[in-house]
Amino acid sequence: MEYILKNGIVYDPTNKVAGEKKDVMFKDAKIVEDVSSDAKVIDVTDKIVMPAGVDPHAHVAGPKLVVGRLYRPEDSRRGVTAKTKYIRGEAGFSIPSCPTTGYRYSRLGYGTVVEAAMPPLEAKHTHEEISITPNIDIPALPLFGNNWFCMEYAKENNLEDMAAYVSAMLKITKGYGIKIVNPCGSEAWGWGMNVHGVNDKAPYFDVTSKELIIALAKVNEMLGLPHSIHIHPNDLGHPGNVPTTLETLDAVKNIKKSSKATIRDQVVHCTHLQFHSYTGNSWKDAASGAEEVAKYVNSHDHMTCDVGQVTLDETTTMTADAPMEYDLFKISGLKWANKDIECETAAGIIPCIYSGSAPVSTLQWAIGLELFLHIDNPWQVCLTTDHPNAGPFIRYPRIMSWLMSSKRRMEMIDNGEVHKWAHKRTTLATLDREYDFNDIAIISRAAPAKIHGFADRGALTPGYRADIAVYDINPNEIDPSVQYEEIEKGFSNALYTIKDGQFVVKDKEVVMNKESQNIWVNVKGYEREEEKVINDIMPFFTQYYSVKWENYPVHDHYVSNPIVVDVER
Amino acid sequence: MKTITFDQIKFSTIALEMDEIIPDTVYDWTEDDFAKYQVPIGNSRFPITDFFDITVEGEAESAAEVKMIFKGDLNRTKYIGSKMSAGEIYCYGNVDLHVGAEMSGGYIYVEGNAAAHAGREMSGGKLEITGNTKEFTGASYIGEWRGMSGGEIIVHGNAGKQCGECLVGGKIRVKGDCDILAGIHMTKGLIEIDGNVNRWPGGQMKNGNIVVHGHLGRLLEGFVLQGVVVDPVVDGEQFEGKYIHYVGDIGLNGKGSLYLGAETNREKLGEYGEHDDEYTSIREYRNLE
Repeated sequence: MEYILKNGIVYDPTNKVAGEKKDVMFKDAKIVEDVSSDAKVIDVTDKIVMPAGVDPHAHVAGPKLVVGRLYRPEDSRRGVTAKTKYIRGEAGFSIPSCPTTGYRYSRLGYGTVVEAAMPPLEAKHTHEEISITPNIDIPALPLFGNNWFCMEYAKENNLEDMAAYVSAMLKITKGYGIKIVNPCGSEAWGWGMNVHGVNDKAPYFDVTSKELIIALAKVNEMLGLPHSIHIHPNDLGHPGNVPTTLETLDAVKNIKKSSKATIRDQVVHCTHLQFHSYTGNSWKDAASGAEEVAKYVNSHDHMTCDVGQVTLDETTTMTADAPMEYDLFKISGLKWANKDIECETAAGIIPCIYSGSAPVSTLQWAIGLELFLHIDNPWQVCLTTDHPNAGPFIRYPRIMSWLMSSKRRMEMIDNGEVHKWAHKRTTLATLDREYDFNDIAIISRAAPAKIHGFADRGALTPGYRADIAVYDINPNEIDPSVQYEEIEKGFSNALYTIKDGQFVVKDKEVVMNKESQNIWVNVKGYEREEEKVINDIMPFFTQYYSVKWENYPVHDHYVSNPIVVDVER
Repeated sequence: MKTITFDQIKFSTIALEMDEIIPDTVYDWTEDDFAKYQVPIGNSRFPITDFFDITVEGEAESAAEVKMIFKGDLNRTKYIGSKMSAGEIYCYGNVDLHVGAEMSGGYIYVEGNAAAHAGREMSGGKLEITGNTKEFTGASYIGEWRGMSGGEIIVHGNAGKQCGECLVGGKIRVKGDCDILAGIHMTKGLIEIDGNVNRWPGGQMKNGNIVVHGHLGRLLEGFVLQGVVVDPVVDGEQFEGKYIHYVGDIGLNGKGSLYLGAETNREKLGEYGEHDDEYTSIREYRNLE
């Protein structure tokens, strides 16, 4: 089937198209340059046309979501809607059900969402959830930052075996890249401790966070993975964590990017940077370190980041940074779930109320926006809320409206919608920069796709997947600075969302349950080394894991419809 | 004033959900509007007129001017008055789950019993039940940590388990007996129980007040005896007579107050030693005849 989206106002930053009136054509599942005269014409005159959104970091599938849903039934009753002719009923706000997650991303005009933390031991269940989340493709990043084998390899500086192990684990977990969460810290949590700074050693393993990060970054480039290491640094959420953040990023600045990774530029992606940009010694004297962190980003091109913008909602935090969740529990006293994932990682879950009247929440809110506004190059920063940690992803349009309107930001500060700390402890009130539609297209689709090394999405390039979003916004008539409510409304419900050439949203209504696809990276050429490494670890695995090796890998039937990205040695 | 009367003509074994039929939404409805309305039942909807004969009398310009009257067997009619902010609802018969849940204003009268979650998370208004209630009266929804925050619930009969769970405000008055764990996790507000209490009121309470006029079966260990007080003023309300005052739950460093009628719980003072100076007032009380 051929289609022409006629007369739309197109924002396609990858192809340097910024608000041009032009037609976008697609045939079956691909964007094409031309179509036949039989093509169906969809009139999108004066509507915004963009590539479908790409969320570079969210938690949408996996066991911690299940724990969250189980222990927060009160969240499931928020956002309940009845089934329609096309889709199932929806439920949940911060931790919606799997189908709800797919539908809501479709409404936002998104087509790809990266599940940012997959414990290898729980990978099967992660893929089960991915398979029932419709309308979006979901690559998942397995966790390596507290993996016992990786820590051993890092201590011995045995990068060859580490590379083979990572390569094997990507196959075993059907994973997309290397995720590092609070390196060595979550392992220390198994001993009731945490690490602080990058030079603390994990108990027993005698390896520092910095050594582990460098080793994994080198391995990432040895293998030539499409994405760089994806790191959640140590000391998340702790006042005074800026030095740790900068030291983490600085540790890998001299590592050379693989020549096989042709799409991305960075060697490290720092996630939810907002949570890592605090100065001070405690929450009493905490203040924004966003300017200092942004200055570092602006002067270094080896890194990219996403923000993890606080949305001022009640949400559910969930992370493999289990000691941080315990810290949060001590502050809030709300119900807390803690989980140990054997030899691999840990996890914690706790509800969190980000309120505009609370000083700390406001500080976090302001720091996120400061990062967006202080970082000069929008290709280095992505729009995320670290869903659901800083807020649910359905708030992306609201964040867009904040970024596009300094008036709105000042209104919030001046009329008391947010605490006075926004004014007193951050530079937000001094920033009058406003994003334009092209910037929004960069941070929400083009940059995340480039950073993750996707060679088939995030742009309207002929041959790419026909993942397209059309929004009922006329950029020639609207003034986002003043009409910020219209911006939020327009981006909240796409007029059309097209996924692989199929209309999943039509006239602002979700009309399709399209099977999702997992994207995983298959490194070729390390088979012999992988076999050796697996033989090496087998005695240890047999002794310490609670499952048999035969039951450990994600078998093919768990991933029924994958997109396999081959990487040659 | 508009009076809307729902006379039951058919009973559904699957519960009808009435949260869309509250004064806030129907104050300007006519009988024709009701005739068009389909009520949720399970995963489907059916015409409400299949179940009720509905008559509308008078006019209203706001929810406050609406009086709704339900007659019949409402044992399978859920969410009556849920989320209402004004107006009056009278139910003549037992009602199902969630009556008055999340209501913020107005008045609901139930002549009969109410199933679980009556007045759940209500923030204002008044809910009066002449019979008994089951579990979670004025409590929070499962998993939620914020229960009733305002308004008043009066239960003329007995209340079930975990009455006032996670109470953060408002008042619950139970004129009969109360089952276990009344006021568990409460942080504010007042629960007054005229009858006897089975066990463990105020478990893990952080603040707020519970007054038990009747006999308490078993007290939790996390409550510290303060002494006997006479005519205490609790939450601005004076209770006449002598009460044994405890503070707890110390397991959570709680500062909630539990008052037990001294006459009906006299045996609780027996466990304290005659020579314990800390409890002078108790010793004095015990020696009073």
